[in-house]
Amino acid sequence: MLKNKISRRQFLQLSALASAGLTIGSRLSPALAQELSGTINYIHHFTSESEFIGMESVIASFQAANPGVEIVQENIPNADFMSKFTAFVIGDARPDTTMVSSERVTDMVAMDGLVDLTDLINDWELKDVSSDLVWEGVTVDGKIYGVPAFAFIPWMYYRKDWFEEAGIDPPETLEDFTNAAIALTDPEQGRYGFGLRGGDGGHGLIMEVMSSFGVNFVEDGEIVADRDTMIEAIGWYSSLVTEHGAVPPSVTGDSYRQIMEGFKTGQTAMVWHHTGSLAEISEALDPDQFGTIARPMGPMGYPGYIGFLYNGIMKNDNLDASWAWISHWGTPEPAIEFLDATGYFPANSLLSDDERVTDNPLYGAAFDALAAGELEPQFVGASGWTRNVVLPEFQKVLIGDATVEEAVDAMLEGLEDAIE
Amino acid sequence: MISNQKTVDRIVEVIRWTFLTFVLIFALFPIIWTFLTSFKIELDIVTSDLQYLPERITFDNYVAIWTRSGFPTLIQNSVATTLMTLVICLVLGSLAAYGFSRYQFRGRYSLLLFYLVLRMFPVVLMIIPLFILMKNLGLLNSSFGLALAYTTFLLPICTWMMKGFFDAIPPELEDAARIDGCTRLGALFRIILPLARSGLVATGVFIGIAAWNDYLFALMLTTGVDSRTWPVGLALMVGEFQLPWGALSAGGIISIIPVMILFGLVQQTLVRGITAGAVKG
Amino acid sequence: MNNTSQSILKTILLTPIVVLGNISESRRWAYYLIFPSLLMISLVVIYPVLNGIGLSFQEKQLTRPNRDGYVGFDHYVELFTDDDEFWVALKNTGIWVIAGTLSQFTLGLCTALALNKSGHMTKIVGVLVLLPWVMPSVVAANIWALLLDSRLGVINDILVNMGLLTDYLAWFANKETAMASALIVELWRGFPFFTLLLLAGLQGIPEDYYEAASVDGASRWDKFWFITIPMLRAVIIASVILRVISLINSPDILLILTGGGPGDTTQVLSLYAFQTAYLDFDFGYAGALSVVMFAILMIFTVLYIRASGGVTEE
Repeated sequence: MLKNKISRRQFLQLSALASAGLTIGSRLSPALAQELSGTINYIHHFTSESEFIGMESVIASFQAANPGVEIVQENIPNADFMSKFTAFVIGDARPDTTMVSSERVTDMVAMDGLVDLTDLINDWELKDVSSDLVWEGVTVDGKIYGVPAFAFIPWMYYRKDWFEEAGIDPPETLEDFTNAAIALTDPEQGRYGFGLRGGDGGHGLIMEVMSSFGVNFVEDGEIVADRDTMIEAIGWYSSLVTEHGAVPPSVTGDSYRQIMEGFKTGQTAMVWHHTGSLAEISEALDPDQFGTIARPMGPMGYPGYIGFLYNGIMKNDNLDASWAWISHWGTPEPAIEFLDATGYFPANSLLSDDERVTDNPLYGAAFDALAAGELEPQFVGASGWTRNVVLPEFQKVLIGDATVEEAVDAMLEGLEDAIE
Repeated sequence: MISNQKTVDRIVEVIRWTFLTFVLIFALFPIIWTFLTSFKIELDIVTSDLQYLPERITFDNYVAIWTRSGFPTLIQNSVATTLMTLVICLVLGSLAAYGFSRYQFRGRYSLLLFYLVLRMFPVVLMIIPLFILMKNLGLLNSSFGLALAYTTFLLPICTWMMKGFFDAIPPELEDAARIDGCTRLGALFRIILPLARSGLVATGVFIGIAAWNDYLFALMLTTGVDSRTWPVGLALMVGEFQLPWGALSAGGIISIIPVMILFGLVQQTLVRGITAGAVKG
Repeated sequence: MNNTSQSILKTILLTPIVVLGNISESRRWAYYLIFPSLLMISLVVIYPVLNGIGLSFQEKQLTRPNRDGYVGFDHYVELFTDDDEFWVALKNTGIWVIAGTLSQFTLGLCTALALNKSGHMTKIVGVLVLLPWVMPSVVAANIWALLLDSRLGVINDILVNMGLLTDYLAWFANKETAMASALIVELWRGFPFFTLLLLAGLQGIPEDYYEAASVDGASRWDKFWFITIPMLRAVIIASVILRVISLINSPDILLILTGGGPGDTTQVLSLYAFQTAYLDFDFGYAGALSVVMFAILMIFTVLYIRASGGVTEE
C-alpha cells in the first residue's frame, strides 16, 4: 500500500519553506547556548573514512556553537551495533544519545532503550521541514523517538553501455526487468543480467519484492500476509536464479560488497541498492558506463523501502544538551558536510534544491523513488525474522533445498513464532 | 648395514623437507597475498583483471591505517592489556598448574575439570553479564578490566597447558633438591621453572596472541581511546558501504609484525630451554 | 652503612622469601598454590556463567519485557522437540568439530615431528609456520574470503590457469563446497596451535629414551608409538580439548565466511546461539542453547579423558 508518499512538488515546496526558516535560527540563541554544559556521549555506526570525516566536522560545528558541551563519540561497527546497544540497556550503562535507524527503532523502543521525544519535537521549529513519512519512520505507538538526519533512497544502478549495445531500454516493470536481465546475460563473456543480493543483508530486498507484489505482513499484532501472493513474489524473484540463470552463481554468498564488486568489475548489468553507495560506484565507473534509475514497478507497488537514519536520546540526564546535539543534525551544516563527504541524502528537504543535488542527473532517480517509496515493515521481531528466517529460507530455494511453497510456509511459521 | 641406514636417513630428510615446503606454502601463501594486496590501490584489487604483483605500488593503505582512528594509541592499549593479561595468567596459572601436577589431594581431578568446565561456557552469553560485572567494579573502559575479562577464558587454558608441561618433568628432581636443603618454593623456582621454560614460552605465546587478537571482548567492554585495542580499530575501517581491501590487508600485516618480533626474541629461549636440559644428567 | 643497618636491611628483604619458603613446607602448600587462581576465576567467571545458566530457565526477550519470568524447562523442551534448526545445527557442529579437530591435529602433529630437529633453517620454518595462528580471526576470515572470492579470488585464478577448474567457483555459496572450504580456512588457522604445543612437548622428551630404544632394536615406528605418543599424552589431551572447546563455542570464522548459509548448510550451534541472542534478542532461548553446548562439551571432555587413560598419575 502506498501511503504518505510525497510528490516532488511538495518536496520542493517544503524546501522553500525551510530556506526561509533557516534564518530563524535552528540553533539556540547565544544566551541559551552558553547555559548548556556537560559531556554528552553519542554512539553510532559511522565507520568508514568518509563518514568519519563528515562526523568530525559536525562535532566541530556543534561544539563551536555550544562551547560548554563536550561530545564523546563511540563508533561501533554496524553488525555489532545492537549487541552493544543491548549491553548498554541491560547493564544500565546508557550513553546519552544514539544513532537510530528506521530498521531498528521498534526493537530499540521495545527494550525501552529510547526516550520519548514527542513534546520536544512538536515544539521544534524544524519539524515541518521533514515530511510525514520521515516522522512515521521513527514513531512507535504514536510517540516520536528521533530526529531525522539522513535518508537512503532505494534505486537501481544499471550499465548504460550494455543496454545501448543490446538496443534495449532500461526496464520499467518487473516483467521488463526479467526480460532485460535475460537478454543481458552471457555466461561465455562472464556477464549476468542482475546481481541479486542473496547473501548477508539480502533480506531487505526480499521483503521489498514481496511488498511490491502487494504482501502486507503484520497489522495490529496479527499476521495478514497472504500465502499465495508471497509464493508469487518469491517465485518471481527466485526464478531469476533458478529458471533463467540471469544471476551470478555465487548468489547465495553475495552480500553488499560482492554485488558491488560484481557491478564494478563488469560482471552484472543491474544491481539494486540505495543512494548511500553512489560515491563508491562513481569511483569505479564512468558516467557513460552506468546510470541510476528508479527500480521497475511491481504489480502492486514500488519494490523499495526508504531507509532513514535518525538520532535519539537514551537517558534523561542532561536532556537539554542531548537535545541540542541531536537536533543539530537536523540543521543545514551537518547535511552539507555529509553530502559532500559521502553523498548521503538529507532526511529533510533543506538541501534538495541545492545545486549539488539538482544538478546531478544521477539523483533524479532518487526523487522518482522518493515519490513512490514507503517505509519497511516495522513490527517487533521484524529484524530477527527477516534475517534469521526469510533469508535462509530464500537461499534454500536458490540452492534447491526447498520449493517456493515450502520456503514460504517456513517463513510464515517463523513469522508466527516471531510475533507471538 | 651402515650405508642402508644412511640412505634411509637421507630419504627421510627429503620427505621431511618436501612436506615442510608444502606446509610452508599453505601457511604463507595467504599472508604473502595479503602483503602484496596491501600495496595495491583499490582499483587494482577490485578488478576483473586479476593482478598478482601490484602494477602500481602505493603506501596509502598503511598511512590510512596509521593515521585514522589513532592507531598508535590503539597499539599502545593492546600492548598494555596483553602484558597485564600475560602476567596475571602466567603467574596464577603456573602456580596452580604446579600444584595440580605435583600434589595428590582429594578432589584434584574434579577441581581440574572445574577449571576447564568454566572455560566451556559459550562466550556469547557471558558477554553481557561480564559487561555488568565490569561496570559495577568500575572497570569498564580500562586496560586492567579488559585483562581481567581475558583471564576468564585464558586462565584455565594456562593452567591446563602448564600442567601438561610440569607433568613431563620428573618429580625426582625436586626431591633431590630438597634433600640438598632447598625449600619447596626454592625447588620450584630454581629447578622446575627453568626446565619448564619452553612450556612457559609456548603458553605465554598462546595467551599473548589470544589477548592481542581479541575483538569481541574489546568491542563490548571498552568505549573510547583510553583502552580500545587495535582489532576494534581495524574493524572500524570497514564501513557499512565499504570494505577497503587494501587497508584491511595493511592492517593484517601490521598486526603480524609485533608478533613476529616476539617470536624472533622468543626462539632463543625455546632453544635454550632444551639445551639447558640438564635433566638427563 | 654500618653492620646493624645492613643486617636489618637483609632481614627485611629476605623475610618474605623465608616466610614464603616456610609456607611452602607446610602441608597446605598445594592449596596455597591453587587458591589465587581459583579466587580470580570465581570473581570473574562464575557470575557470568551462573547468570547464563539462570537465563536458560527464564523467558527473557528484550523486546517483550512484559513476558519476563521463570519458565522452567520450557526452552529445553522446545529445543529438543520443536526446533528443526537446532538439529541441523547440531549435525553441522558435529561435522565441523570432528573434521576440524582431526585435520588440524594431524597436520599439526606431522609438522611438529618434522620440525623437531635442530638446525637454523628448521627454526626459521618453525616461526613462519605459526603465522596463520597469529592473525586475528576477523582478518584471516576476510583474507580467505578474498582468496576464494568468485570474482577477485586469486586461488580461483590459479586453479583455472592450472586447468583444474573451468570457471571461478563460488566456494562459500555452493552447498557442496561451503563447509569444506570453511574447514580449510579453519585448518589453516588451527594447525599451528597444535604444532606449537606438540613441538614444545616433543622437545621435552629426553633423547636418552630414544637412544636406549635404538639399542634395544626399536624401529622408527616403535619409537613413535611407544615413546613419543605416550610422553605427549598430557599435551595431546589438553590441546585437543582446548581446540574442541574453541570450535564448538566460537562462531567467528563462519560468521564472516558464510553466516550459516547457504540456507543452513553451515549453520552451527554457536552461530545459532549468537543470532538468537543478538538478532532476535531472545536471551532465554539463547541461554538454553548455550547450556546445551556446554553440556556437550562436558560430556565429550569426560569421555575423552577417560578414553585416553586419565590425566592424573595412577
